[in-house]
Amino acid sequence: MKIECNIDGKALSLSVNSNKPLSLILMEDLGNQSLTSYCRGNACGNCIVMVNDEAALSCLIPAFRIRGAKIRTFESYQRSRQYRDIERAYKATGTKPCPACYNARTLIIESILQDQSGAKQQNGAPAAKDVKLDKEKIIRELSLNTCQCMDMAELIQIVEIALGYRNRRRRVRRS
Amino acid sequence: MYEGVRSPLIYTPRSIGEFSTIIARHSQAILWAGGTHLMSRSDYYPGEARDGIIDLSYMEELKRITRNDRYVEIGAMVTARQLLSAGRLLLPPILQDTLRSMGTQIVRRQVTIGGSLCISDERLSLSTTLAILASSAEVKRYDQGKVTTHWIPIAKLYDKDGRLNLGSKSALLTRIRIGLEFGDFQRFVVFGDPIRRSDECGIVALQAKREQNGLSEVQFCVTFPRKAFHISKDIESKLSGSALPIHPEKVNTLSHELVAELTKMHSTISDLQLERARRIFESFLHDLNSQSLF
Repeated sequence: MKIECNIDGKALSLSVNSNKPLSLILMEDLGNQSLTSYCRGNACGNCIVMVNDEAALSCLIPAFRIRGAKIRTFESYQRSRQYRDIERAYKATGTKPCPACYNARTLIIESILQDQSGAKQQNGAPAAKDVKLDKEKIIRELSLNTCQCMDMAELIQIVEIALGYRNRRRRVRRS
Repeated sequence: MYEGVRSPLIYTPRSIGEFSTIIARHSQAILWAGGTHLMSRSDYYPGEARDGIIDLSYMEELKRITRNDRYVEIGAMVTARQLLSAGRLLLPPILQDTLRSMGTQIVRRQVTIGGSLCISDERLSLSTTLAILASSAEVKRYDQGKVTTHWIPIAKLYDKDGRLNLGSKSALLTRIRIGLEFGDFQRFVVFGDPIRRSDECGIVALQAKREQNGLSEVQFCVTFPRKAFHISKDIESKLSGSALPIHPEKVNTLSHELVAELTKMHSTISDLQLERARRIFESFLHDLNSQSLF
């Protein structure tokens, strides 16, 4: 099956099996090194990619569902400004995920940041630091990745700091 | 890798009419909603889909949410996330809790209502909650060119072990209907991890109406994925009409009756699962009692 899509900014025409999972397409057909997942859909949470700017488990997306989609893996995400917010938060806390889950965890945090800042914009709340984060919700989102390398409290702290950087950067851009 | 694996044909109907034509020609085709369950099976890829795959994601008719004074109708292809964000004002609280329990936001974007209800052999939280909310599903059956439409209560879509029975090999669940009159006491608890460790997990849900000092319209369902889908009419009738607060001895008796019933009907449930379900059921009744004191 011929599938046209955009992966990491490149327009590609792929000839793959129509039901092949996106995770396998990225790892086997495109040799993407930022993904390490062989759980076969058992939700290990290591194969996160951004599909049309929303985080998704690539092992749960078949090839026929990526027609015309814009896919962004960690390879291109790490060159973006958004990544800098999270990277700075890692540095500020002095902790970061282990190499096995680093990429996936970072993309999960990005998804949380998008959700949090999007929700605040909708509610019309101006200052992010004044709004209390829904920690229970964040813990639930972070638990998608089963790697035990980090404490939840550390991860929540990273999310809070990264959200602060993100909102500060947005305010500066607006003003 | 995977040389020689045949690529299945993908059919993309845009309407129920088009779907009828396709299913008449390819009755063995796999119906694809969100795909989260199908793709998490260990034999998914490389696997055979000889008669092709019917992708339901282009059927706009299945993505609608409508509401009137008496009920809400939800299309089968509405995702858990869409329903949760659209339905904060119109859904019963227990259904919102259920949708939130279905996984993280990343997973909820993909899980569809119809797909979750139509897993062939595994019942999860949504089926349990919809069963106690007395909701029903519209099922279209396709038999030898004939199409018949039926409204079936969700509780009757499954057998006692939780296996799906739509009444025909070629059938499509198009939408569900949830009544807007529901009890003022609703509880829903999931123990264990239904996605990663479904063998150790269980789902317990209870709904009741409190009238003056008594209970009425009690609905109770307990589910163990791949093992049991249990609606206890006996316990429901014993609780309906009971005066509040329920005597602790009666609570104890009822919870042990539940365990006895489950053991008799489903031999595969582990002792730990039974004990957890019993204690959760007891906690619901104690909760009812404590609320009746105010």
